[in-house]
Amino acid sequence: MPKLTINGKTVTCDAGTPLIEAAKQVGEHIPYFCYHPSLTRPASCRMCLVEVEKAPKLMPACYTTVAEGMVVLTKSDKVIRARKAVLEFLLLNHPVDCPICDQAGECTLQNLYFEYSAQESRLKTRKVNKVKAFPIGPEVVYDGERCVLCTRCVRFCEQITKTNELTTTQRADMTEIRPFPGRELDNDYSQCTVDLCPVGALTSRNFRFKCRVWYLDTTESICTGCARGCSTYLEHFRGEVQRFRPRTNPEINSYWMCDHGRRLYREPHEDRLLNPFIKGVGAVPRNKGLAEAVKRLKAFRDAGRANKLAVVLSPQGSNEGLFSLIRFALKYGVERFYMNGKPDTAFTLRNEPDKVADDFLIVADKNPNTTGLRRLAEAFGITVLSAASLAADLESKKVDSAFILGANFPLDLDKKSKLWQKLEDADLVIFLGQRATPFTTLAHVSLPSCSFAEKQGSYINIDGIRQVAKAAFEPHGLSQPDWKWIERLSLRLQLGWEYENFEDLEAAANAKLAAPPAKELEEDKNAPAQT
Amino acid sequence: MLADTVIILVKILVILLGIALTAGALLTFVERKQSAWIQNRVGPNRANIFGHIRGDKFKDSIKLGGLLHLAADGLKMLLKEDIIPKGANRVLHTAAPAIVLFPVLVGFAIIPWADHWCAGGLTLLVNHRDVCLSESHNLFSIADLDVGFLFVFAIASLSVYGGAIAGWSSNNKFSFFGGLRASSQMVSYEVPMGLSVLGIVMIFGTLNLNEIVRAQGDLLFGVLPAWGIFVQPLGFIIFLTAMIAENKRAPFDCPEGESEIVSGYMTEYSGLKFGILQLSEFIAVIFIASIVSVLFLGGWQVPYLYGDGFHMPHSAFFPLFALLFFVVGGYLIAVGVRREQMLQKIAGGLLVVLGLVYAVMSTTQANGVQHLPYEGVVLLRLGTMFAKVIFMVWLQLMIRWTVPRFRYDQIMQLGWKIMLPAALVNLLITAIILIPLFS
Amino acid sequence: MPKVVTREPMSVLERSFVPEIIRGLSTTIKHFFHAASGQNYHEKQHLWFLNKGNVTYNYPEDVRTYPKRYRGQHRLMLREDGNVRCVACMCCSTICPANCIHITAAESDDPSVEKYPASFVIDELRCIFCGFCVEACPCDAIRMDTGLHVQPFLDRNNAYYGRDLLMELGELSVAIQGGDKS
Repeated sequence: MPKLTINGKTVTCDAGTPLIEAAKQVGEHIPYFCYHPSLTRPASCRMCLVEVEKAPKLMPACYTTVAEGMVVLTKSDKVIRARKAVLEFLLLNHPVDCPICDQAGECTLQNLYFEYSAQESRLKTRKVNKVKAFPIGPEVVYDGERCVLCTRCVRFCEQITKTNELTTTQRADMTEIRPFPGRELDNDYSQCTVDLCPVGALTSRNFRFKCRVWYLDTTESICTGCARGCSTYLEHFRGEVQRFRPRTNPEINSYWMCDHGRRLYREPHEDRLLNPFIKGVGAVPRNKGLAEAVKRLKAFRDAGRANKLAVVLSPQGSNEGLFSLIRFALKYGVERFYMNGKPDTAFTLRNEPDKVADDFLIVADKNPNTTGLRRLAEAFGITVLSAASLAADLESKKVDSAFILGANFPLDLDKKSKLWQKLEDADLVIFLGQRATPFTTLAHVSLPSCSFAEKQGSYINIDGIRQVAKAAFEPHGLSQPDWKWIERLSLRLQLGWEYENFEDLEAAANAKLAAPPAKELEEDKNAPAQT
Repeated sequence: MLADTVIILVKILVILLGIALTAGALLTFVERKQSAWIQNRVGPNRANIFGHIRGDKFKDSIKLGGLLHLAADGLKMLLKEDIIPKGANRVLHTAAPAIVLFPVLVGFAIIPWADHWCAGGLTLLVNHRDVCLSESHNLFSIADLDVGFLFVFAIASLSVYGGAIAGWSSNNKFSFFGGLRASSQMVSYEVPMGLSVLGIVMIFGTLNLNEIVRAQGDLLFGVLPAWGIFVQPLGFIIFLTAMIAENKRAPFDCPEGESEIVSGYMTEYSGLKFGILQLSEFIAVIFIASIVSVLFLGGWQVPYLYGDGFHMPHSAFFPLFALLFFVVGGYLIAVGVRREQMLQKIAGGLLVVLGLVYAVMSTTQANGVQHLPYEGVVLLRLGTMFAKVIFMVWLQLMIRWTVPRFRYDQIMQLGWKIMLPAALVNLLITAIILIPLFS
Repeated sequence: MPKVVTREPMSVLERSFVPEIIRGLSTTIKHFFHAASGQNYHEKQHLWFLNKGNVTYNYPEDVRTYPKRYRGQHRLMLREDGNVRCVACMCCSTICPANCIHITAAESDDPSVEKYPASFVIDELRCIFCGFCVEACPCDAIRMDTGLHVQPFLDRNNAYYGRDLLMELGELSVAIQGGDKS
C-alpha cells in the first residue's frame, strides 16, 4: 500500500489507484473532463495536470497512479497556470452559446472557466464552425462546436455497452464525434452519453429546451420502469417531472440507466385521475367519493358477502400501499387476492424487438415491486393469483366483485374481453389508482391515488434490495397516497388503524417484510415470470 | 290684504327656493371644490354628460367644471334605498330630518336683504339716516319683526330637538351619542351667543334687524362706518364662534365625529333623509352668514351710500388723496417694472386708477356728493348684502377646512370657561365705556 | 429611562386661539387662491401668483411626458428577417423577481437559429418594472424603452402580453453578441 502526500496531507491507498481518486480521499478535488471512474483513461483533456515532485513535467492525475513517497501539489501556481492555459485552449473555438445551451448551469467547462480562467478570448481569427445540432442518434443530438473531445461517449460505447457506434473523425481543430457510417447511436443506454458529456455537446432530445437546469429540483427516487429499480434522481419543476438521471449505486445500476426508464418521465402526468369518480354521477369531492365507497363496502359486508370480494394488487405499488391494502382486505374478510402489473412487453430492446431483457440492466419483469408484493403476501399468508384467473373465478362465482389497487397501471382491459364483461356485471367494483382509463367508467367508485413521484414509498427490486423513493412534489388534484385512502376507509369501516403517521406505517410494513413466511407460497401458473 | 298675502308668498318662495335651498345645494359642491383647492387638489371635475353623442367619450362631454357632480349627487340621494333600521322608532326617525330642516329655513324669515322700498323714491338724509317721505313697503324681508332678534334665538333653540330625536330614534349607540353630544353642545353655546349679541342691542337700542342695519349707516369719528364688527369686535368673534358651534361643523363637529362615532346621529340615515340632514347643515351656513352680515357687517349698508347717492366725507382733501394715490401707485409700478413683479404693477395700477377717480371727483362733484337714482341705490344695497353673505360663507368654509377638531371636553371648556366670561366682559365694557361714548 | 417631553405652556394669545386661527387661515387662503387660478404646475404662467397651482394632472386628457429612461411596457426586438431576436435562454425569467415572464422554448425550423420562444408571455400585472430582464438579456431582445405605461385592464387575461403583442412595438436591433470587438 503506497503512502504519499497530497498538498501536505498524507494518504495511503491501493497500488494502481489514480491520483484523482487518491486526492478525493483527502478532500482535494482535481478538475477533469475526460476521466471517468468506470472508463479507461486516455488522459486527453490535460485538465487534471498536477505537480509531482521530481517529475520533470506536470503529470495527468487521472493516468498517474500512486507510488510510495510521492509528493503531489494540486494547487501550486504552476498547476493553476496550466489549468488556465488548458481552459483557454479548450475555449478557443468554443461558441460560448451558453444562453441556448442546455448544459448551462451544470456544465463542467462553464464551472471551471469561472473557477480558473475567467478571461477574455485572445483569438484574433475566426472561430472554426462545425455542424450544430447534428442528430447523432434517435435520442441524442450532437453539437460539434461545443465538444471538448474528451471521448467519454466513444469509450462508453466501446467499454460499457460494447456496441461501438461512435468514433472521432477528421483531425486537429476539425475533429468531431460521429457514428460509424451507416450506424447511429441507438443502443438502449444512449442517453448515458448525455450524462457523461461534461459540456453541452451531447443533449437529450427528450429534455432539449424543455427547462433550464437551474430551475430543477432534485429528489432521490427510483426508476419504476422495470424490476431492476435503478436509483435515480427525479428532477422536477413546478410539479412536473422533467427528467431522470441515474444516481450512482454500485449495488444496482452503477452509473447508468437505460433510455426506456428515462422515457417514463411523462408517466406520472399521463391520463391522471384527479377527482374521485362515482359511476353515473361524475367527479365528486374527496369526502363524497370516500362516503360512497364506504357505503357500498358496508352494505356488501352487511350482506355477508365480504369473502366474495376480490382484491387485485398491483406490483407497481409501494410496500406501504400494498401492506395497508392487504391488511385492510384481510380485516374486511377478503379471501382471494390477485395481482396485475405491466406486461413484460411494456417495452422491448431497441435493436431486438423480440427481447424483453438484456444482460446489463433491463430485466423482463417491468414492475418495480413484484418482489415486495410477493414477500408481503408470504408474510400475510395469502395466495396471490394472476389477473387471468380473476376472469375464471368471476365466472365460477368464487368472487363477484372487485377492489382494485391500480397504483400505477390499471387493468388494461379490452371492452370485449370476458373479464370486462364480468366486471361490468359485478355488484361492486372499487378502483383506487392513478390513471383515468376506460376502467374508471366501469368502476362504481374510483378513488385517485398519486404517482410514485408525489408520495414516499419503498420498493424491493429483483435482487431483494429495498429502496425508498421520496416524494418530489405535492399530489396533483384531489389525489392522495393510496395508504391514506385505505386509512380513511379502515377508520370509516371500523377496521382499526393503529399507525399515527407514515413513519409508523413504514416501520410496520418493514417489520412484516422481515418476518418469516407463515405459509408456503402456493404455486401460481399464471404469475408473471421472474428473471 | 290679498295683495299682502300674495307678496308674502312670493317673498317666501323667492327667498327659500332661490336663496336657501338652491344655494344650500350648491354649497355641497362648493365645499368639495374649495376644500380641494385649499389642499392643492383639483376637486370634483369628472361628472359629464353627452360625451357619447359628441364624439370622444370623455373629452367631448359637457362637464361644466364639475358642477354636474351636484346633479349626480342629488340623483344618487333620490334613488338610494331609504333604510329604517330594525328597532328604530319609525315615526320619529322619519320626522327628525324635517325637524332639523324646519328651524333653519324659518330663520330666513327675518333677514332683511335690503331696506324697505320707499314707494315714491323720495328719501331724506337726516343725521346719516334715510327717512322715507312717502309710504314704505317691506319688500326685501319676509317679516319685519320688532322682536326679530328674539325670534332668531327661539328658532335656533328648536334645532336641538332635531339632532336629539334623530339620534335617539335610530336605535343605535353611536347615533345616540351623537344626539347627546349635539344637544349638550348646542345648549352650551346658546348662552355666549345670546350674551355676545346683547352688546349690539345695547348700542343700537333695538331688536328689529332692519333697524339695526340702518343704525350701522352712522359714521364713527366722521369717517368709519358704525358696523357691528367695529363697535363690537369681541362680540363678533364670540358670536361667529358660537354660531359655528351651533351648526355642529368643524372644528366643532364632535356630534358627527367620524373617527369616534361613525357619523353621529346621521349614522342610520340614508337616501334623501340623509340628504336633508346634510342640506340643512349647508343652509344653516348661509343663515349664519346672513345673520352675521346683518348684525356685524352692516347688512345691506354700503359705506357712504345713502338713499340719494354717495356722500363722501372729507371732500376737501380729494385732490390730496388723488396726489397720494398717484405717487404711491407710480412708485409701485416703477418698482414692479424694474423687478418684473406683476403683483406690484397690478397694485400700483389699481392705486393710480383710484387716484384718477378721486381726481375726477374733486373736479366734478361738489362736496363729494354723487347722486344716484333710487333704484340703483337699492340694487347696490342688495348686491352688497349678497356679497357680504357670500364672503361669510366662504370664510366659514375656510375655517372648517383650516382648524382641526376640538376634543369634546375642549369644546365644553371653551364654551363655559372662555366664551361665557368673555361675553360677560364684553357686555360689561359695552355698558360702562361704549354706551356713554356713542350715545 | 423614558424620555421626558416638556411642552411649552401656551401663551394667553395662543390660548385664545384667535391669532393662531388667523395664521392658519392665511396659509389655507394662500393655497386656495393659488389653486383657484386653476393652472397646472407644469404650465408656467406669466403671472407669478398663478405659478403655484395644484400639481395634479387631469390624466386622460393631460398626459405627463415620461423621462427618456422611463421603464415602461416591454417590447421584443427583431432580427433583420423580422423574426424575434429572443433565443429563449430564460435569463430574464430567471432574474425576474416577480416571476412574471413565462417562456416556452422550442427548436426552430430556421437552421441559423437553434432555439426560439414558442411562447413568450409577460404578466404585466405581476411585473414590478425593475428592468432586470433588460439587463439580463444577452442578445438585446427585450427592452422597456417604449415610453408607454401598461394600460389598465378590465380583464385579468388581457394582462398577459404574448409574444406577438410584444413584437408589435419591436424594432430591428443590430447589437452584436458579445459586444463590438473591432
